[in-house]
Amino acid sequence: MFIFPEHSRIPLSISSTASNVRRVASKVIKTTRPLQPVWRRRWFLIAMLTGAGMLLLPPPGALGFHGWAVLTMVVVAVILFVTEPIPLPAVALLIVAGQVILLNLDSSAVAQSLMNDSVLFIMGSLMIAVALVKQKLDKRIAFLIVRLTGTKTFNVCLGISLLSGVLASFIGEHTVAAMMLPVALTLIRLTSDDPKQVRALAAVILFSICYGAAIGSIATPSGGARNAIMIGYWKSFFYDPNNPETARYLIDYVKWMLYGYPLFLVQVPFVTLLLFMTFRPGQKHITRAVAKLRNQVEEEGPLRPSDYLTIAIFAAILLAWILASDKIGLGTVALLGAAAFLVAGLVRWEEISSGVNWGVVLLYAAMISLGVQMVETGAALWVARTFLGMLTSLDVNHGASLYAVLIALTTLVTNTMSTAAAIAVLGPIMLKLAGVVNESPLIIGFLTALASSFAYLTVVSAPACTIVYGSGYLRTTDFLAAGWKMVVLSSLVCIGAAVFYWPLLQ
Amino acid sequence: MEDPGKRFRILTCIDGSEESYRGLRYAARLGSGVDADVTLLYVRAFDSALGTGGLDPRLIRENLLDWDLDLPGIRALKAGRDILLEVGLMDEAWISRLYHSETQGDPLGDNAIEYISDTETMITLRLKVASDIVNGILEECEDGDYTLVILGASERWQPGQRKTFWDPAVAEKIVARAPASVIVARELEQNHGHLICTNGSEASISMARKDAILASRCACPISLLSVAPDEASSDKAQDALERTRNAIEELGVPVMEAFIRVGDLVTEIIEAGAVYSVIVVAHSPKAGLRRLFETDTAFQIVENARNSVMVIK
Repeated sequence: MFIFPEHSRIPLSISSTASNVRRVASKVIKTTRPLQPVWRRRWFLIAMLTGAGMLLLPPPGALGFHGWAVLTMVVVAVILFVTEPIPLPAVALLIVAGQVILLNLDSSAVAQSLMNDSVLFIMGSLMIAVALVKQKLDKRIAFLIVRLTGTKTFNVCLGISLLSGVLASFIGEHTVAAMMLPVALTLIRLTSDDPKQVRALAAVILFSICYGAAIGSIATPSGGARNAIMIGYWKSFFYDPNNPETARYLIDYVKWMLYGYPLFLVQVPFVTLLLFMTFRPGQKHITRAVAKLRNQVEEEGPLRPSDYLTIAIFAAILLAWILASDKIGLGTVALLGAAAFLVAGLVRWEEISSGVNWGVVLLYAAMISLGVQMVETGAALWVARTFLGMLTSLDVNHGASLYAVLIALTTLVTNTMSTAAAIAVLGPIMLKLAGVVNESPLIIGFLTALASSFAYLTVVSAPACTIVYGSGYLRTTDFLAAGWKMVVLSSLVCIGAAVFYWPLLQ
Repeated sequence: MEDPGKRFRILTCIDGSEESYRGLRYAARLGSGVDADVTLLYVRAFDSALGTGGLDPRLIRENLLDWDLDLPGIRALKAGRDILLEVGLMDEAWISRLYHSETQGDPLGDNAIEYISDTETMITLRLKVASDIVNGILEECEDGDYTLVILGASERWQPGQRKTFWDPAVAEKIVARAPASVIVARELEQNHGHLICTNGSEASISMARKDAILASRCACPISLLSVAPDEASSDKAQDALERTRNAIEELGVPVMEAFIRVGDLVTEIIEAGAVYSVIVVAHSPKAGLRRLFETDTAFQIVENARNSVMVIK
């Protein structure tokens, strides 16, 4: 697995004797500061003290103790999300325990609230992601891009953005980033081995992946966990089987695409334009790199039977999402898709099991469960009313100005923590706010879900950003330099859609 | 640094920036003796599955390796090794040993390759994973028993965007907590000498002696500076200079020049030091609550100087 010796100018004599392999477990770490473990956990202590302090205070206004306890858990969870003093799945465990102890809920009821269609969807789509990445279709994708776009740098980046967006709209941005990163890095390295010479080029190519995937991830429900979470919230909070009028809150795959896909397509060319204006790469053409990449990819030969099978299963999953997800749920389709890859023998369970981090699934499940409790205890309504009081004093409690504020708030939150966790917390508040200000919960919900994808500003906020940053070519400041322009662009497109386009669909 | 039997071990933190390679060239000059070992360290953060949306980062790394694309940091370390070959600190006849250890569940873990000469001089390239850059460097400092740490004041050593509001810069943390002397390299140019700042205290003179030994390793000329807060204190500053000069010359190391400046301590040191390769100051740690309310002079110089600063411990 390790790598130093390759291209080494120095002959190596690698011994495999046990003495050559040091194990960290046996290493004695000398600690000059005996309180260092405590210091490293300081934010955990601060979060716990904050929580204890809040619980000691009387609940504000008409909010009951349980609502106050849920808000306390949210505040503690957000501190832990942002500062990460403990492994994040441990936050999920604390949330589960907190619901039983502080809200006096039956532990079986809490356990049931951890699993719903949104969580099944998150699990299933992660398994599909592993199966797809394992099929090594990235070389085929690379071939498609260079065939379609030619050698002009702008066109290559436009092609990468468009393809990343289209793929991310169906399979999620993390899968796309994982598959596209090698393509991008190969293009960059084939252009020049000197990182300084290709810094601007690397920035436009890598950001084409992560920003392309980000704008694409809003286009369909399967584009991101946040979309599935919002669909689940609409159904939980507004749908009443006895009231046919509430059926409009059941958002199926096609309906979401009608809301989301045009917004993605409108943004694609602007992404490339903004990136080129920001980084101004010197290489107008990358003919040599494209030619080399084409040769490299052509060595793969024609599509194999397993490739055809992968494409067929993936197409079937897409069709099932479009045609059947309103009846059997997005999550069930995702699980069936993952099962199909296993049945076809395209991926082993061990590969899926090691490729998915199940702690993350647990974390999302716990956050969604907490979101439901925010509504049931009245905490979401209280926060929404308090927030509305602030908005009213600023005269931004309706229309485009309200939309702008909601987008700004969601963007702020989503850039400091995981987008799915952000929507799990913000979703109930925003949907309750819609009721209070007589706005459509669908429009407010879409705005919140879409704005949670505006995680353009920091490395940690979106999976695709984290993955491309791992290439080592980007600086954290690059995300700010290009990201604020993307935030403005996406916000304007969203507000425009909320004012002029989405009302036509209702 | 004063124990004659102890090997002179330099830890150079590499991040792929020009600044860090300048620091490495300086390390190569300091470590040119047979009693010196040099370690090149690149710290990368643990792969976090949450950051990648639940997809295990191993999958992404494996995918990259399938395309013959190596881990971040490998290229930076290889470039560093090529510099050491170019300046002649190591050569192709050295034997090498490879180490790998899985660290805290990160399967790519810590990786190192050691190059050893027939005189037992060792050059190590180490790719380390840690929860953050500061912890990675500090763990390596503690494990490796280093004499000197060289750290570029480049962007990668700044804290991440998310923690900017409450985290001091990486360089400041390393200066405060590393159990070795630290050079924060900034526009590090060789052959301009060391400017040792002294106030005549025992700690200051001890620091000057340590740096004199270090400077003699690279034949760097030594200058002495003492800052008097006002004209009336000039005699005291002059006395400090004389005592420091004597202490250094007792070691057989010549002092090229010694001078006094009058004014604000930090401002004068930064202005006078701008033409030297390195400004040398003593570490004066503040404990407990004092750290919250008082800023160490050394930190102020590290933070504001336009060139490299060495904090001697």
